[in-house]
Amino acid sequence: MDYRIQLATRMLANKRGSLLGAIMAVSIGILVIHVNFVIFQGLYDAIIRDLSGYRFGDVLVTNREDVITEKSDVFLVNWFERIPYVEAAAPRMSSSASINVTKSGKIIQDFQVPVVGVDPFQDTRVSTVHETVSEGQYVFSRNSIVVGSIVARDLGGVTVGDNLQLKIVNRHGEDAIKRFIVTGIARSPGGQGFDSDVVIHIDTLRDMLDRNKETGQILVKLNDPTKADEVKDLFLRSFPNDDFKAETIEESAEQTLSGFRSGIAMINMIGYFGMMSSAFAVVTIQIMLVSSKTREVGIMRAIGAKRKDILIIFLFQGMIIGMVGAGVGTAFGLSYTFYAKETKMSFQGSLPLQVSYDWSKITQTAIMAFGLAVIASIYPAFKATKLQPVEAMRSV
Amino acid sequence: MNKTYGEGDTKVRALTDVSFSIKKGEFVLIVGSSGSGKSTLLNMIGLLDKPTSGQVLIDGTNTITLGDNQVSSFRNSKLGFIFQFSNLLTDLTVLENVLLPRNIQHSNQNVMTEAKNLLKAVGLESQMNKRANKISGGQAQRAAIARGLINNPAIVLADEPTGNLDSITAETIVQLMKSMAKKLNQTFIIVTHDRQQFGEVDRVITIRDGRAFEGEDLPHEMEIKV
Ligand SMILES: Nc1ncnc2c1ncn2[C@@H]1O[C@H](COP(=O)(O)OP(=O)(O)OP(=O)(O)O)[C@@H](O)[C@H]1O
Ligand SMILES: [Mg+2]
Repeated sequence: MDYRIQLATRMLANKRGSLLGAIMAVSIGILVIHVNFVIFQGLYDAIIRDLSGYRFGDVLVTNREDVITEKSDVFLVNWFERIPYVEAAAPRMSSSASINVTKSGKIIQDFQVPVVGVDPFQDTRVSTVHETVSEGQYVFSRNSIVVGSIVARDLGGVTVGDNLQLKIVNRHGEDAIKRFIVTGIARSPGGQGFDSDVVIHIDTLRDMLDRNKETGQILVKLNDPTKADEVKDLFLRSFPNDDFKAETIEESAEQTLSGFRSGIAMINMIGYFGMMSSAFAVVTIQIMLVSSKTREVGIMRAIGAKRKDILIIFLFQGMIIGMVGAGVGTAFGLSYTFYAKETKMSFQGSLPLQVSYDWSKITQTAIMAFGLAVIASIYPAFKATKLQPVEAMRSV
Repeated sequence: MNKTYGEGDTKVRALTDVSFSIKKGEFVLIVGSSGSGKSTLLNMIGLLDKPTSGQVLIDGTNTITLGDNQVSSFRNSKLGFIFQFSNLLTDLTVLENVLLPRNIQHSNQNVMTEAKNLLKAVGLESQMNKRANKISGGQAQRAAIARGLINNPAIVLADEPTGNLDSITAETIVQLMKSMAKKLNQTFIIVTHDRQQFGEVDRVITIRDGRAFEGEDLPHEMEIKV
């Protein structure tokens, strides 16, 4: 083994305190970045997951003007489901209604709620809304209704089995009134789901609106979400003359998430500042190490070590610190990530984080921490090369 | 050569017109009172510092013209050093310390046997795998002697090598240096303030107020050029 590597290793090994301090500094810098990523990217991805799972699918097809009239939902669903990347597609229809319920002889005041019409069979293949039905079950018949938990509360505590009435203004401006039986209450973690909506059968909603064969949106779920752009483009190319509009989840969620993204950018910046201060800690510790080895440097120079050799010894120490620090920090970070993922971490009952391992970012962070530790060692190492043997040995 | 430290008011003439030559294999003592300039002289010969004017010729090389890297290589291959204290790198073992001058050369020549023989010669065979801070002061000086000899240098330089030792240990170190010098026909230049300790030697140079005189107890005015 090269004597410079041997010396660097020994000198560090005999300075446990400094070594530990430097390694901690580097690894905490990394840990902060991992924790930031788990929480903020996890929250971002969780919102995307829920928006896509509840409302947008991976690709959302709508009409530029109003509702889709040019093709039937069955046609479009079949068209999409022939594409290999597509797992399923489902139609939806949106409107709003005034709702009222009679509870123990008393009418609870009308108020407006958003109404979502779903195809009970297709919808469960495309969205995760049915999973948020905490009591009872999802819409299954023409007169069943799933009530969001907030709506249920505002209605004075509606429960499964209760009757309620929706009044919708149809396309002709006339009121359409229909009674429903509550079959389920929807409650999603974080309230991103249909907690403030009511869900009914799409055909019932079409009847009430007098919009037979028409569709509000088609949600498309992909088995490979990275192909969203391809599927979208293929669709738009295939129907150039219609008024279709298609958006990937990123596009649909853009408005909701653009602010969040700049927040993440800022958090990341804070993480990198943390890493910079770790680098400064390494500078300090390395300067301490160098000055505690002044005499040794003097002896080495006296017996013939060149400036370059001294530089290499202390740079190599920086590499050891960087390497071990990056390793330990990454291990800490991965443990936290693993813990967050396994426990489906969430904050105060809010939506569970969508935790993922971003290996390129993890590698990049580790390499950066390593690089910073080496860079942080340049100045102390350079200072060490400036020590004159006579002067250095006087400092006993 | 001449050596002055500092400038202006704080200027110190540490060496004045010092000039002598030493033959291969000579065992030379440099003596003189404290502050007379012994260490300064030794540092010049050892290329640890440069004279203000003059030359240092070693093995036919004018060392004044060498650059930092060349001086380092020169020190490594042509000179061996023994200092008063803390000679060894405490992060290494005794054996590793002895091998260090050779490792600095990056020579892949295996000198393990040589190093072990030297350690045997200085009586440290049993201590060679100990860490250098786990041995006594006398043992450390023995190790330093072995290290000073590992590269077969032209000169071994020692600045008060016994200054930090009790008189009995000092005596054995002196004997060791003398016997190694004889056995290897090795040039030694040793700075000491204890002339008596060394007994019979080839040559003594006395430094007085920065001037060098041949022999001991010389009258003030007399200056001998060799
Ligand atoms: N780095 C320096 N800067 C300024 N003056 C110095 C320096 N080194 C030595 N001197 C001065 O040069 C003179 C000679 O010093 P030197 O160390 O050579 O003496 P010495 O003979 O080795 O003394 P001692 O026996 O005490 O070790 C002294 O006056 C000393 O103060
Ligand atoms: Mg001295």
